[in-house]
Amino acid sequence: MFSEAAIKELEEIRQKYPSARAALLPAIYIAQKEFGWLSQDAYEAVANALGVPKAIARGVGTFYAMYKHKPLGRNIVQLCTNVSCMILGAERLVDFLKNKYGLEPGGTTPDGRFSLVIMECIGACGTAPAMLVNDDFYENLTEEYIEEILGKYK
Amino acid sequence: MITITINGKEIKLEKPVTVLEAAKSAGIKIPTLCSHEQLEKYGGCRLCLVEVEKIPRLQTACTLMVADGMVIKTETEQIADVRRGILEFLLINHPLDCPYCDKAGECELQDLVVKYGPATSRFKEKKRKVPGGLEDPILVRNMERCIVCTRCVRMCEGVQGASAIAVINRGGHSHIEPFSGGRFDCEYCGNCVSVCPVGSIMSRLHRHSYRPWQLMSETETICPYCGVGCTLVVQVRDDIIKRVVPRIGTPVNNGLLCSRGRFGYEFVGSKERLTTPLIKKNGMLEQATWEEAISLVAKRLGEIKDNFGSSAMGGIASPRCTNEDNYVFQKFMRVVLETNNIDSTARTGFAGAQGFIENIFGQGATANIIPGLSNSDAVFIIGGDPTAINPILGLQIRACSRGGGNILTIGHIKGLEKFNPVVLKPEFYSETVLLEGIVSALKNKKGLPGSNQKLEAKVKGINTAVEEIGEKCGITEEDFTKFIEILSESSTPSIVIGKEIAQSSGGSYKLLLISAINYLMNARIYLLSERANEQGLLDMGCAPDLLPGYRTLTFAEFRKRYETAWKVSLPEKTGLSIFEMIDAAKNGSLKAVYIMGENPVFNLPNSKAVEEALKNIDFIVVQDIFLTETGKLADVVLPALSWSEKDGTFTNMERRIQRLRKAVNREGMEDWMIIAEISKNMGAKFNYSEAEDVFKEIARVSPLYRDMTYEEIEKGDAIYPYKGEPLRGVTEEIQVHNPPEPPLSKGGLRGIAAGKLYLRLERPLFHSGTLSRKAPALVNIYPEAVARISLATAKSLSLKAGDIVKVSTKIGSLELPVEIDKKVDSSAIMLSNNFEDKGAFSLMEYTIDPVIKAPCLDGNEAKIEKVK
Repeated sequence: MFSEAAIKELEEIRQKYPSARAALLPAIYIAQKEFGWLSQDAYEAVANALGVPKAIARGVGTFYAMYKHKPLGRNIVQLCTNVSCMILGAERLVDFLKNKYGLEPGGTTPDGRFSLVIMECIGACGTAPAMLVNDDFYENLTEEYIEEILGKYK
Repeated sequence: MITITINGKEIKLEKPVTVLEAAKSAGIKIPTLCSHEQLEKYGGCRLCLVEVEKIPRLQTACTLMVADGMVIKTETEQIADVRRGILEFLLINHPLDCPYCDKAGECELQDLVVKYGPATSRFKEKKRKVPGGLEDPILVRNMERCIVCTRCVRMCEGVQGASAIAVINRGGHSHIEPFSGGRFDCEYCGNCVSVCPVGSIMSRLHRHSYRPWQLMSETETICPYCGVGCTLVVQVRDDIIKRVVPRIGTPVNNGLLCSRGRFGYEFVGSKERLTTPLIKKNGMLEQATWEEAISLVAKRLGEIKDNFGSSAMGGIASPRCTNEDNYVFQKFMRVVLETNNIDSTARTGFAGAQGFIENIFGQGATANIIPGLSNSDAVFIIGGDPTAINPILGLQIRACSRGGGNILTIGHIKGLEKFNPVVLKPEFYSETVLLEGIVSALKNKKGLPGSNQKLEAKVKGINTAVEEIGEKCGITEEDFTKFIEILSESSTPSIVIGKEIAQSSGGSYKLLLISAINYLMNARIYLLSERANEQGLLDMGCAPDLLPGYRTLTFAEFRKRYETAWKVSLPEKTGLSIFEMIDAAKNGSLKAVYIMGENPVFNLPNSKAVEEALKNIDFIVVQDIFLTETGKLADVVLPALSWSEKDGTFTNMERRIQRLRKAVNREGMEDWMIIAEISKNMGAKFNYSEAEDVFKEIARVSPLYRDMTYEEIEKGDAIYPYKGEPLRGVTEEIQVHNPPEPPLSKGGLRGIAAGKLYLRLERPLFHSGTLSRKAPALVNIYPEAVARISLATAKSLSLKAGDIVKVSTKIGSLELPVEIDKKVDSSAIMLSNNFEDKGAFSLMEYTIDPVIKAPCLDGNEAKIEKVK
């Protein structure tokens, strides 16, 4: 079930769209924020809140790769391994995360602190390699720098 | 006039259509996969690409509208290349498991690849794997085969209106799933199965049991379940029904079916079917020969007639039997047993309601074409969920909503909740006040037209103020005014009436009010019918007051016609209704009853009392396909042939007569034939060699069916009023019964004590009487009786889904698992009357409306307690 704040947010969003179905994407995003990831229950909550068939809500959500369809850690590390980052050693950073934190691409640390998602280009080719931790952006990464950054996230 | 050229052939068209349709009309085939005539245009598969002069790129024929002077080519080198390419892409993932795929032989992809496709693949990568799909008891998904044409999704959403499935994931991973990813949570119409071009969604019922080319026969017939009368194609191999499919272009259902029609056919081949006659000896039913059984029935009926007179005999006809069966049945009762004590379960609502409405508006007032509903600009629905009782009619209401029509409902209707209904939900026992209010408001808005004085005299004095509605019904003035505005402004309204009206307190008065709404709005009435031949049975004269052709028995002129035709003199007195027969059995004045294809011990309310009453009867004959609760009480049980094993006709709720055809061979006799044999044994001349002979007699003796033949019915022309003489003039005074509403109890509820719940009848989509018990697929979907309660009731008794509760009323109790249904009223509990020993009717008492003679089921109060 959505919290009151989320319900209010959903209502506001609904007003901005001509039909309930058009409001699905931001509504699913709210559910993701609310529940951490998009479980069946989360889709059902979205569908009920908007009055959209639940199968359709799930169908729309699963189209997009950037919605989370499994439970992830408290902090999400999104590391780019596209051309520029790769040339400047992003793949070594992947190995580092694996060796140092036990963090596999797509995986979560046993303590639930971090999840790693390998992402496509984030437009930081000039300052590669780059990554996002939650909504924060980091560039010119090295192994030491990553260690320092991740230390900030508990 | 639009002139276009396709492949050098000039085509003239009246109105703009798509290139695909234009080509089809000229006999030019353009291959397609995603396009389907029942679905909206999609343009997804790209197989129908064609060359159009002056357009530089290939165009999809299924979405491109023709324009005057267009020159189109559908078979060129470039197009062939493209088709081959598309098919090659589809085959990257589509498995070549045709040797064990049930679809092979009727697979559209297979056919196209054979015709256009590449012989080899250039892809070395492995095909995708999509696990799962076998979780559902009915619908088997094999998503590796899915080509994502989305026909099923468009069918589910755009036609069926269930929106139970969707495309999930994207790109090469996309496929179709119900919400759960496993089991379907849907209406099980199976229309997705119909439109799937490959073997991705299929029915489990016939899985791996035949190849399409091994089907030995295909027979077009009519569905055995409800009064809509959908056309079915029954496909048979080795005298076993393998599959039931719809056909596009049939008048009522046009390529669509519901769960019962599509998956409910397995009762025909059930091992529990009766095979030989049974005779009760020392209290036990024992197998007997036909000769023994027939001569015993003839002898005993003759004795009882001689000793107690004709009025001591009664007959119960069947709304599941054909017109021919029912005609012969009533003729037997009238001519051989010389009684008018003939009735059926149509008396539980349909018969009385129809008689009442026709008395006001004339015969044929309810004979309206079902697909016409979708063209109405407003549909007013009261007394039941049409999407569960008559699902295909329900689809027309959904189509009406989709086309911009207004859906106006009295009470909450589950199957229409997603279709923007405008709902007025009156408190229990206040429906009458609400209807009076609607009549008053419409009178004020529109004025009485003056054409039906008799009806006007009855409703002139009705004047219910909005305030009273607010007070008694709990409906706000705003909601009421909005409802009236929409209703009164519609120009082509329809009214859909469910059985609950006839089965509620003041049924006849409510029907008067609804008739008045119909009159003021100049609307069309649709009377929902739960059985396939409920209408036909009445038209054949299986009623205590009707002769064949729906002719009133008490008119000497009509009686005379049949006396001449049958060369007998007919009893003049109106016979006993089915409930009067039960009373007569109870007091011992009914000595013999002949029951054809009906199970009154289960299908009549207060079923325990019905059972006790029947036990009083000296001699009971039951003719059925299964040994029912009623059959167990019988002295003689006669096994009949069932639907799909016999020929005949059904008359659906629009009074369309349709042909029922034999699809499966089975030894035995049709119902009419058994009765004819008994008649012969009793000295009457019933000489028919086949069902058509019976129909010829019907057409000869009844002015309604004048000149009608099977041939004409087969052409699809048998629509009311046929070529015969319907009765128009209003014949009797309009009478109504309007009992005062019961007082409020201490708990604030009308008619029931504090702490009790209203016991209401659930009419489920997946079941129909007791027949569906023998259809394993339907039982799999809806396996057991449940008590549906509201969330509030569940909370107050701290019940959760699946808990066993004891539901008790004054006359009995049942133990059932509980199901929590948000849509159930917090003061009600819903029970179905379909499952053995768990029928709601065993807990329900009734009173009879003296006008329509239907049982009022209101006022049954139930208590529920947790058992475990």
